[in-house]
Order: sequence, then structure tokens, then C-alpha cells
Amino acid sequence: MKIKHFVEKVEGETELEFDFKNGIVNNVNIIFPFYRGIEEILKSRDALDALVITPRVCGICNHAHLIASTRAIENGLIDAGVNIHLTPKAISLREFTLCCEIIQSHFKWFYLVAMPQLANLNKLTISDNHILKASWVSINTVKALAIFAGQWPHSGYVVPGGVSCDPTYEEIIQAEALIDDIIRFTQQEFLGISIDEYYKTKEISNINGDMIEILNMLNNQNMQEKGKSYNRFLALGKHLVFKDGQYDQNIYGTAKIEYIKEHIQTGSKAKSVAYENKCYEVGPLARAILEKNDFIMDMHSKYQDSALTRVCARMDEIVKLLIYTKKLLANLNVKELSCTLPKFPKDLEANGTGIVEAARGSLIHQSIIKGGKIQNYNIITPTQWNLSNGIEKTSGIATKAMKGSINTEEATFIFRTFDVCSVCTTH
Amino acid sequence: MPKLKKPTILWLQSITCNGNTHSFFSHPDFVALMQKFEIIHHPILNTKYTLENVANENLTCDVLVLEGAFRQTGMKKANKEIYDIAQKYAKKAKHIITAGSCATFGGIFRQYDTKSIGGFCFDGELPNETYKLFKKKLISIPGCPAHPRWIGSVLSMILTHRQIPLDELHRPLEIYAYNAHVGCSRSEYYEWKIDVSRYGHKEGCLFYDHGCQAPFTHANCNKILWNEISSKTRVGTPCFGCTEPTFPKKNLWHTTTLMGIPASMPIGIPKRAYLTIAGIAKSFTIKRLNEPIIKYKK
Repeated sequence: MKIKHFVEKVEGETELEFDFKNGIVNNVNIIFPFYRGIEEILKSRDALDALVITPRVCGICNHAHLIASTRAIENGLIDAGVNIHLTPKAISLREFTLCCEIIQSHFKWFYLVAMPQLANLNKLTISDNHILKASWVSINTVKALAIFAGQWPHSGYVVPGGVSCDPTYEEIIQAEALIDDIIRFTQQEFLGISIDEYYKTKEISNINGDMIEILNMLNNQNMQEKGKSYNRFLALGKHLVFKDGQYDQNIYGTAKIEYIKEHIQTGSKAKSVAYENKCYEVGPLARAILEKNDFIMDMHSKYQDSALTRVCARMDEIVKLLIYTKKLLANLNVKELSCTLPKFPKDLEANGTGIVEAARGSLIHQSIIKGGKIQNYNIITPTQWNLSNGIEKTSGIATKAMKGSINTEEATFIFRTFDVCSVCTTH
Repeated sequence: MPKLKKPTILWLQSITCNGNTHSFFSHPDFVALMQKFEIIHHPILNTKYTLENVANENLTCDVLVLEGAFRQTGMKKANKEIYDIAQKYAKKAKHIITAGSCATFGGIFRQYDTKSIGGFCFDGELPNETYKLFKKKLISIPGCPAHPRWIGSVLSMILTHRQIPLDELHRPLEIYAYNAHVGCSRSEYYEWKIDVSRYGHKEGCLFYDHGCQAPFTHANCNKILWNEISSKTRVGTPCFGCTEPTFPKKNLWHTTTLMGIPASMPIGIPKRAYLTIAGIAKSFTIKRLNEPIIKYKK
């Protein structure tokens, strides 16, 4: 039996075509119906225009696109023989603003997606409090980001050779105060315990606050047993706070960009992407497994790559990044240069690749620049990894996770645990 | 006293990145503002009606907020052309707000196919056929994205029946009569024609060499600031002119010059007046403005 299911509020919309057999999901086809042509728009434009155009792929992870496009240009400059050296200050500021964007995105997922969707699934009614919380925490997180980036969404402060801002200690203190507020919120409202306690025990049973409501609702739906995929993970972006690499059924390896290949999918405007012809999961769970995060490793050994483990990895990443952002600010030295590239070379000839860990996973930008103009631009988004329909006859990451579901509602929730972003997937 | 019925609001997305949705969600009074409306549909809030309801039924709609560029055919949601859905509710609405440059002029996504993609009522700066139908109730809030306060203030002005004077592109004058340069922390360097030497300094102006479009961009970004704290030019990034129908121009990080003079003049300033003032300003070397404003010990 085939059922078409329209899914909305996934940063756009998508369609799931379910094939039920004996009352359970036997197969799913994910259809992203609209392509906006960002890569085409970039053709023949000035190389630096990509820094302005590509963030407009996505309203929620635009900052990751900005950094990826800058990294692609920097990689191209190195390829063309230009010396690119970023100061620790520029690196830390980029890391800080990227982390802020990831934090706001994860919080929005918990409060605007997980809370209401799980309540629906559990046939519970909830107050509008979750919207207020999502709003408060995202306002303050992007405000901290904007101190350095000027604005969110759609900043342009990351430039080849560093960043365009030149912050004072007085401004850094404003950012620290905001992060302190967000940490307080995380302890009082989100986790219901202090971060110290959280790190001491690393037990889900000790968690309280809004997270316990989410965990209880996940538990009621048996999500520790559901939503499992291939147990294959990939993180490609190089950052101080994440570890890149590849993991396949308990074996760790280094990730090689030449093994990545995109494929056209019939019926959908989104391309699929594979590593060595296999589907890999990217995102917070992949990052936690690759860095051997003991809390998530423990959950993973009990519940594998279930929906529960995936959700907990996202939660845990918020805590980890909040602590990290504090460290970055504490160690910022304003005396260092913000940008070390004095002049952008004219008529640049370069091929470059820029990779960033965005909220939903590894984001890749590739550009070919001839005579200072973009000849070709290619973007591979995190959601292309997680939300493809697979390679040849094997299922994709999310489609495999949805198999075995008892109804469309449950399957759709499992789909949403990947933090679906429709606009990124098609771009 | 009988309870007054809240006006209904419908937020509809077409070809978009959702940037205006997320921008407006960063408004400090987002929740309080939205509580003054009955929300028919919204892209990220849990709403009573689904997008399928919106597409297939005839729901009420007092205020229609549009986000994203439009094409008359080839952009379906829930099996209906989004343009037709927008038209259906535009006819019923008392006010139509185009939030962001895509919904207003076509913006970035218009660049993919300028023949068939545009704003809801303008293709670039030219009014289209749809404009004729809805010009009486149209309010344009361009920007990529629109500032949260622009959307919030316009919604509040509608609720409180305040007069909203508009320019010829239907942009509220209280917001767009300013240019983005007003309030820039680098304005002294602009006055004395001192360019930023390279990116990453608080000193220097970005207008002469780095592509800043603030003096000829209609917006109050530097007056009200972004996220209540900063702006592009305050962090050393040029203004890209994102509220204008010409956005995105080409060569966004370079100033187009004619014989060394920026080709685009500040709004309403004759070239001769600009050249006279610039010539005088440039004939002086102001020591303070050619040094770092803060000196830290090594």
C-alpha cells in the first residue's frame, strides 16, 4: 500500500512516499520538489560574491555557508600559491560565531520541533511556553554572534584571511554575559541540573527540566529501539572542537574527500551523496561518535544509532559547545590581527574546497575560479547525506531509519530526528 | 465587555531561504506580538491549520505576510501553485506585507530566471500585473533578510491603526527614508575620505574601495542596529544594499569607480557637490584619523 505524506515545518516542505507492507513501513521515498539554483546564480560572478550569495541557501545555517564559502576561497588561494595564515584570534572568532549558530539551531529543534511533535505523537497537549523558551534562547544566542558578525541571519563578516571585525574587550565581555545567561537557562530550564552535575554522572536518568519531558515522550514511543540506520558516521569539517573522520560498524578511519560522490535522484530535486558508494550519517551523533564522547558512546553501545541516541547527541552538543564558547572568549587576544590577507589577488585562477561542520553535519563548498570569476560552484549540504533515498538499491540514512515504523506519524517523527532542512537539501 | 476578536495572520512562503522567518523570530517581542493575532499558518510555529488546509480551504486572513520570490507556475506546495494560494488570500486580506527582498522584488532567487521569477508585486523595481490588483493594501519590507523590528513595527502599526507613509516602492518611510549609512560608527572616516586599509580594523570607511552601499541604500540598520547590538559596517563588512530592488548587484566587495570616484552617489547628493566636499576633505591629513584609535600595550 502506498501513502503520500506531506511534511511541513522542516525549513520548507517535503513529501514522503511510504510503501507499507504487512502494516509496517517497507520503503520510503523522500521527495524534495523545488530547486532554487544557487549554484547557477553564482556562475560568472566575482569570486567574492559567493560570500554574500551562498548564505542565502539557508535562513537557519547561513553562517556555516559563509564560513564554508570563505574556506573554499582560502583553499583555492593556497592552491594558487598564496600564503594563507589565520591568527588564533580569527580562528577563535569564526569558531565562536559558528558554535552560536549551531546552539540556536539545536535549541530551535528541541523547542519548536521535538516538543510539539512528540506531544502530538503522545497525544498530549502542551502550553505555548516552548515557543517563548525557543525565542528567548535563540535571541540571546544570535545576539552574542552578532557582536562579532554584525547581524544574524546573513552576516558577511568572514573574509579570506580572517574576519572583518576588530572587537574590543568591552565587546567580548558583552558576549560572555550573554553566554552566561544561556548557560543559566540551559541549567535551569533545559537540563534541570547544573552542567557540573551533568558532566559528573552523564546519565540520562539524572536529567530533569524540559529535556526530561522530551526523554519521557521518546521513551513512551520506544525510540531507543527505533530510528536505527547503518551505524556509519562521517565528519569532514576541520575545527578545534570537533574531530573529523569516518566510522563504519565500529571501525574508525580518516575521511578522504576524494571518496565523496554526488548522484542525481529521479523524482526529487535533491542530489544524494555517498562516501565510497555508501551512505553515511552526518551531524551531532556522527560528531559524538567520532570524538568518542563517553556519554554518547555509552548510549550508542546500549541503543545503537537509535532516534534516542541521535536526540541525546544533539542535546549533549549544546552543553559541550556552550562550555567551549566560554573558553574561546576567555582566550581571545584583541591585539592579534583580524585579517592577514592584505589584498585579494586580481584575476585569481583557483580550485578550492571548503568544509564546515554545520548544525546538521558536514557542509561542503567547491569552487572553480577562472580570471577572478566563478566558473563552477558546487554545494553539498549535510541534509543531502542524511536525507537521500540511497545508492542504487540500498536505502538512504533516514529512509533506512524509517523502515519498520508502524504508521506515518511515527515514521515522520523519526525523519524529523535528523533535523530536516528542506531548503538546504535542494539549494 | 465582549471579547474582541483577534485579527488573523497568515505567513506564506514561496521561493525562500526562510531567513525572514528566522530574522523575525529574533525579535525580542516576537511571542507577545504574535499573541495579538490568531495565527492561521506560520512556517515554524505549531499552528491550528496545516499548509494543506491553507492550500485547499478558504480560511480567513486579515494580514497576509509573504516570504520568498514568486513564479506564476512551477512552484507547487501541497499540489497547488503557491502563487495561486497567495492570490487567493491576497484578495481577502486587508493588508499584504512582503517580508524580505525576495517577496518584494525577487531578490537573490530572481537571479536564477529573471523572466519568470520576481517579487509578488514588483519584478526588480518594476510593478508587475499583480501590483495593479493589490497596490492599495501592499506594504513592502525589503531586506535580505528584513530586520525583525521592521516586520514587528509594521504589524504593530497595523494593529493600532497608525498611519504608515510609504515611498513609491511601498516601503514605510519611517524605516526606509533613512539610508544605511546614518548612524555608522565609521562616519568620521567617511567625512574625511579615509578608506579602511584592509579588513579587520575598526578604523576606516568601506565606501571608497570595499563596495559599501550604505550611503545609497534605503534602510535604518545603523540607526536601530541588528540583533539590538551591531550592524554590518560596525563589524567592518560593507553594506551590500540588500533592501534595494537592484540587490544583489555584481562585484559586491568592490566599489565601482569612475576616474577614482565612487560611481554611485549618496542619495540626493549631486556629483558636483560630492566632488567639492571630497576635494576639500582630502586636502587635509587628520592625524587622529590615520592612527589606531586604541593602543594596547604589547
